[in-house]
Amino acid sequence: MAAKDDALRRIQELLGPGALTADPDFRAGVSYTVACPKESLLAVMEIFNACGFYLESLTGLDFQDTLEFVYHMNAYEPRARMAVRVLCPHDGEMPSVSGVFASALWQEREAWEFYGVRFSGHPDLRRLLLPDDADFYPLRKDFGTVHAYRKREEVYG
Amino acid sequence: MAEQFPQPAQQQLYSLNLGPQHPSTHGVLRVLLTLDGEYILEADPIIGYGHRGHEKMGENRTYLQFMPNASRMDYLSGLLYNHGFCLAVEKLAGIEPPERAKYIRVICAELNRISSHLLWFGTFLMDLGAFTPFLYCFDDRENILDILDRVSGSRLTYSYCRFGGVARDVDDVFIEQTRAFIKRLRSRWPDYHNLVTKNVIFIHRVRDVGIIDKDLARRFGVTGPNLRAAGVAFDMRKVEPYEVYDRFDFEIPTGSKGDALDRYRVRLEEMEQSCRIIEQALDQMPDGPYRQERVRLKVKPPRGEVYFAFESARGQTAYYLVSDGSPYPYRVHVRVPSFGNLHCLTEVLKETLVADAIAILGSIDIVVPEIDR
Repeated sequence: MAAKDDALRRIQELLGPGALTADPDFRAGVSYTVACPKESLLAVMEIFNACGFYLESLTGLDFQDTLEFVYHMNAYEPRARMAVRVLCPHDGEMPSVSGVFASALWQEREAWEFYGVRFSGHPDLRRLLLPDDADFYPLRKDFGTVHAYRKREEVYG
Repeated sequence: MAEQFPQPAQQQLYSLNLGPQHPSTHGVLRVLLTLDGEYILEADPIIGYGHRGHEKMGENRTYLQFMPNASRMDYLSGLLYNHGFCLAVEKLAGIEPPERAKYIRVICAELNRISSHLLWFGTFLMDLGAFTPFLYCFDDRENILDILDRVSGSRLTYSYCRFGGVARDVDDVFIEQTRAFIKRLRSRWPDYHNLVTKNVIFIHRVRDVGIIDKDLARRFGVTGPNLRAAGVAFDMRKVEPYEVYDRFDFEIPTGSKGDALDRYRVRLEEMEQSCRIIEQALDQMPDGPYRQERVRLKVKPPRGEVYFAFESARGQTAYYLVSDGSPYPYRVHVRVPSFGNLHCLTEVLKETLVADAIAILGSIDIVVPEIDR
């Protein structure tokens, strides 16, 4: 349990206790959710890196009022997974964490081409899965057929 | 006057395309190699040839309608993906399948894991130039396909699991066939080891080649047998036991160095462990209903989200489902293991020989359509 407790303590020191939401039953598959402001993302990732976590998954969610990026972090111990959630406006930029976790190099390329949000500081932002001349962002809800396009509080409120 | 002529370059660099259509790339993968003689200076995998937009497809169909998509991401372990998707939706919607269904699912999933590993075994050795093992393991794999075909109706892209159970019950013939298969597979291990594991040429091709150590694996998010070969005993079936995996006695095989030989050994041992799980599951399987009757076809989970991780044949896979309370998922994201496993090649292939690159590519066991989604 060492890595998880260590990371928790240091994130709490950095962001304050209000940023962490516990899920003791592991109902959603994560033990803690960290609501992280964009400016602190790099510092939080440095903490995870120092505590022996790895970046499991990076993905986005498109809502009418905002985009949200979710980083799932995991360590090699039971039930250590934590989700870091960062809000980002539709025309905003995200800080790249590829300097901390190399696996973000590809995952950020994927998030960029699917959501149209640049990751500033990424050394090699090329398209990964889409053709080079793609001028659309497929996972935004205004592309193609989707069943619903909702505000964030309609899903999480 | 000599200085007017350009000096011959110290290095004669050139680029080579490995793929997109090449038997050793296991799908449509192109690796752009920058070579100095026979040594690779830089490797840039170019993917996306098989991108079908599964995640987008998930946003305009119901949970049940998405199920056939699940087994088409990694077509070699389709049942494991299918199984994982069912578990994720069941967790989100609070559906509890009957006991018998859980055992049936575990048995079929482990059979699928063995068939995936057997196919890897054959193609890996084919990459290294050995043709005979391919014929042996396809013979064995055919048995599994027949068994699963009988219960699920398909040989490759299974949609056998249902929310709250499985599509059809298994009968005594299935149990008999499965037991016979395990007996047969165990009788084949000596052949495999004599033919390949003790083969000097094979050992020289894979020992100390393509080392993925713990630190590299962590930085690139490498999971599955590739991570376990580096000595980290990390398997979702043990760490976050789902279904009934906590009721079985099995081990997580690990390696020490993380080279191609370790990865080979770990996968062979994993097949034996899967056999142990299947045997115990067959012994413990209770009678009773195989499916929960009162599950609606249009599953309507409450608002919220679930991140469900499970162990597919290639590593840690996860479904991230977000529900807005309607019968249609708001977002479907799949964390695929081959993504990280392939990405780490940009580092591993540096300063290796082209011939070793083929061995490394084979040893990490990628399925490209899974990465492309």
